[in-house]
Amino acid sequence: MQYLFSVIDDTAGLATPEEMAAIDVFNDRLQAEGHWVFAGGLGAPIAATVIDNRGEATLFTDGPFVESKEHVAGFWIIEAADLDVALKLAAEGSKACNRKVEVRPFL
Amino acid sequence: MVASLTRRFGDLDLAEEAAAEAFAAAVERWPADGVPPNPGAWLTTTANRRAIDRIRRESKRGDKHQEAQMLYDDDPPEPLGAVDDERLRLIFTCCHPALAMETRVALTLRMVGGLTVPEIARAFLVQETAMGQRITRAKAKIKAARIPYRVPSAEDLPARISGVLAVLFLVFNEGYLATGPDSDPVRQDLTAEAIRLTRLIRALLPDDGEVAGLLALMLLIEARRTARVSSSGELVTLSEQDRGTWDAALIGEGHQLVRERLAARVAPGRYQILAAINAVHTSARDVRDTDWSQVVALYDQLVQLDRSPIIALNRAIAVAELDGPQVALAAVDGLEDKLAGYHAYHAARADLLRRLGRSQQSRAAYDKAIELAGNTAETAYLTRRRDQLG
Repeated sequence: MQYLFSVIDDTAGLATPEEMAAIDVFNDRLQAEGHWVFAGGLGAPIAATVIDNRGEATLFTDGPFVESKEHVAGFWIIEAADLDVALKLAAEGSKACNRKVEVRPFL
Repeated sequence: MVASLTRRFGDLDLAEEAAAEAFAAAVERWPADGVPPNPGAWLTTTANRRAIDRIRRESKRGDKHQEAQMLYDDDPPEPLGAVDDERLRLIFTCCHPALAMETRVALTLRMVGGLTVPEIARAFLVQETAMGQRITRAKAKIKAARIPYRVPSAEDLPARISGVLAVLFLVFNEGYLATGPDSDPVRQDLTAEAIRLTRLIRALLPDDGEVAGLLALMLLIEARRTARVSSSGELVTLSEQDRGTWDAALIGEGHQLVRERLAARVAPGRYQILAAINAVHTSARDVRDTDWSQVVALYDQLVQLDRSPIIALNRAIAVAELDGPQVALAAVDGLEDKLAGYHAYHAARADLLRRLGRSQQSRAAYDKAIELAGNTAETAYLTRRRDQLG
């Protein structure tokens, strides 16, 4: 079963060298144990664009979809047998990247 | 049966509905066909079939592999000993840390305690629809996030047991606070329910010290129930209670558990220490016989484990009996910024100030306590004490 780990950030900064090193170690472990599906860091919210093409004309909005202090800074997609496994991995991930992590199951 | 169905199908809603349908089918068929030789197996097989039918109907694109696994899982009906394992799995699932505390409480009472949604709603003073939604969402989360239906592994067990005990203690406290003339009787039944569930956990985990400790604590508190509220609906404090009305059987059982834990020579956890404190109190035939130095010594142990300001407050109240109200007041005043919103803090201050002859300040503290108290029996008691100041 797949889960999305969203890294929640409320700072403008990127990961420090120590955090990057810890993230690398964590990523290696995910791959070695067969949990890794995909992961990546995201560009800052100022680099975002929102598209709304539900109506007549396509609307482009500069910036993130919601203006808030907290935003998603990166994510992991992992494979885990159940939520207990996912939560243990997310705990390590949160420690490694030094931020809060939201765990959500895929449908 | 709900437990074993949940294990097989990983879905609490499905398990409940299939069980209900099986019972309904039995009510319909057995009067005409006769009771089958093995009614338990008949019910289980019927429920399994209903659950499978439902999965087939509802499965669209679905996880075909998972469906196939469930359809071809040919377990024989569970032997009786395994029923306990199923109940244990159910309790741990309902108390999973990924669920909010209030959700765990509601789910445990519904799935393990068998209380109805209206009963649980009344017990926690929540709208029925809101309580129903809370439980529905919890089941949906268990299914969607795949909260596993199992007893936790050995390394996870201590933390998970402590989570279960926290839920049970919360249920107990809700029932315990429901003293007083205008509280719903259902709320009082919560203490009985909490004790029943804790006994179940103890039967399933007989070697766990904190489980024994929590049971002892509940029994020793429950033993004093009738003495706690006067006929006029006012709270009666420990020092004023008629100890002759305490339930000797519950106290005996509680003391036995505390002695057992002492003999185990294992460092005691929170519940065991709280139980021991209650055991000291309930060992005294008269309040003047209370071994306060033992009580303080036990609180000294407890504050090492639990830095909660409420524990510090209760310790200070005991210290007053040993070292006098002046020393105790100094300790209590130090907790001001943490406990300013807690009625018992102001009640404790009021009592200490009264004993020091500082009536005006005592009165002010009683006023504050009355303002913050939520329980009619407590309010009545505090009002009387304040008015006695003259």
